[in-house]
Amino acid sequence: MIEVKDLTKKYGDFVAVQDLNFKIEDGEIVGFLGPNGAGKSTTMNMITGYIESTKGDIIVNGYDISKKPKKVKRQIGYMPESTPLYSDLTVKEFIRYMAELKFVKRKDRKQEIERILEQTGLVDVQNKLIKNLSRGYKQRVSLAGALIGNPEVIILDEPTVGLDPKQITEIRSLIKNLGKNHTVILSSHILSEVSQICEKVIIINKGKIIAIDTPENLENKTKGKNTIILTVEDNNNNMKNINEKIEGIQEITLEKDNEDGTKQYKVISDKDIDLRKKLFEVLPKEEITIFELKQGEATLEDAFIKLIEDDKSQQEDENKKKSKEKDEKKNKVKKDKQEGGKK
Amino acid sequence: MFAVFKKELKSYFLSPIGYIAIGLFLLVFSVFFYITTIEVFALDLGSLYYATAMYGLLFVVPLITMRMFAEERKNGTEQLLLTSPRSITGIVLGKFLAAVALIAITLVISLIYFVILTFFGDPNIVTTLVAMVGFLLVAMAAISFGMFTSSLTENQIVSAIITVVFLILPWFLPNISTIFSEISLIDKFAKMSSGLISITEIVGLLSFTVMFILFTIIVMQRRKALK
Repeated sequence: MIEVKDLTKKYGDFVAVQDLNFKIEDGEIVGFLGPNGAGKSTTMNMITGYIESTKGDIIVNGYDISKKPKKVKRQIGYMPESTPLYSDLTVKEFIRYMAELKFVKRKDRKQEIERILEQTGLVDVQNKLIKNLSRGYKQRVSLAGALIGNPEVIILDEPTVGLDPKQITEIRSLIKNLGKNHTVILSSHILSEVSQICEKVIIINKGKIIAIDTPENLENKTKGKNTIILTVEDNNNNMKNINEKIEGIQEITLEKDNEDGTKQYKVISDKDIDLRKKLFEVLPKEEITIFELKQGEATLEDAFIKLIEDDKSQQEDENKKKSKEKDEKKNKVKKDKQEGGKK
Repeated sequence: MFAVFKKELKSYFLSPIGYIAIGLFLLVFSVFFYITTIEVFALDLGSLYYATAMYGLLFVVPLITMRMFAEERKNGTEQLLLTSPRSITGIVLGKFLAAVALIAITLVISLIYFVILTFFGDPNIVTTLVAMVGFLLVAMAAISFGMFTSSLTENQIVSAIITVVFLILPWFLPNISTIFSEISLIDKFAKMSSGLISITEIVGLLSFTVMFILFTIIVMQRRKALK
């Protein structure tokens, strides 16, 4: 279990991460989500003991990183964002070095290295120099370095950046498999990735947590309206008046005029009104043929953007309040001075 | 410590640096072997080691120390080392000993000159060994300083230049004031090169070495908070 309490990191006056609090249970796959510069990497670097926090505690399986750094580091496998590697070494040499650094016992080492090579699909390139590998393979070598020694906690900083689609699916299924008997923390700004792999999402913006929840809950919470995507053939253009025939439609917009004569509309209604049944009943009567009808789902993308915008507007409100108070104070002081002068 | 030591020593020979360092050293050795022994018909290797320590270390030490931490920092591999369950002390000592081992390898090769001399006369093996130990001590002190400069920057050239300047200054500074000869590493080697075992000088060189190893450890530890 990983517990993070009041974690803060400051660089001079700049606050990179402020008062983070969260708990990660054993065997969970947790996604750190946030725009660039939100503090994802900083947080991960603190959990792995690469940088020191300004304030706050990090406790991994009962050990405090500031008091027992070696004990904590033994339980963590870390793949940094920039995937640093020793380019003069071959893949196998690099993995062996990482195994040695992580105290993998001499008698288990060979077997462990072979297991990792297989797991990460590096068997074919094991004797190549790292500098001659493509970006995707380098990423895998870095991942292999994190996995060697079978640590309980695996921390991956943007593990799929720069990979081609096939490699991305491979790495994702690998991570999902790892989640069966490891605790996995990964960061990403690709939202679909997080919703596919993770059981829990921590959304960070400007160094603060703005939401911790499951991807499904986040999607539901931020869903404001019910959207239906509707493709129809409508030769008499009866769709124009359809909102008079069906109650509850807030808005109909033409999305696409397809070449085959069909048209795609977006029908928006209130959150709790489902119009699908009514559309099926009414449209045929109006000589409109339905080609396709589906519910538009609120994606994590929407949730993410909404949460960040909410956070922004909240901050702006606070700032406005503050500046207003300041102005009032100034005016008061001015007034007092003027009155004082009069007296 | 041993894992880092092994890898560091290996990477000297994966890049050209290890070969260049040893080659350069042997070149300087050979030149001075001619000047200090063959040409003057001497049977004593002391001045050979003294001259090589003076001119050879100047080039070779910065060459092997500049990359120690600067390269890791620049490539980000520092992150792998510092998040591994190894202590900073172990990492620093591992790297230090690998560089010392590289010099030690050259010293073993330099026994060739002793063997050559045995064809012409009867050189004293004990004084030669004392000179070699002294040479290694001076090299260790210089390496510890070079390592320290490497931990300060991510630019290898900067580290190398600071080290060269530090090693070259004692050539000129004693002309200004004799106080400066105290900081000269090479002056501490003068007695040992002639076969004298001098405790003050051994202690002086060793404490200099320990001091800069400690400085390196402190720099690495403090950087964690500043990063």
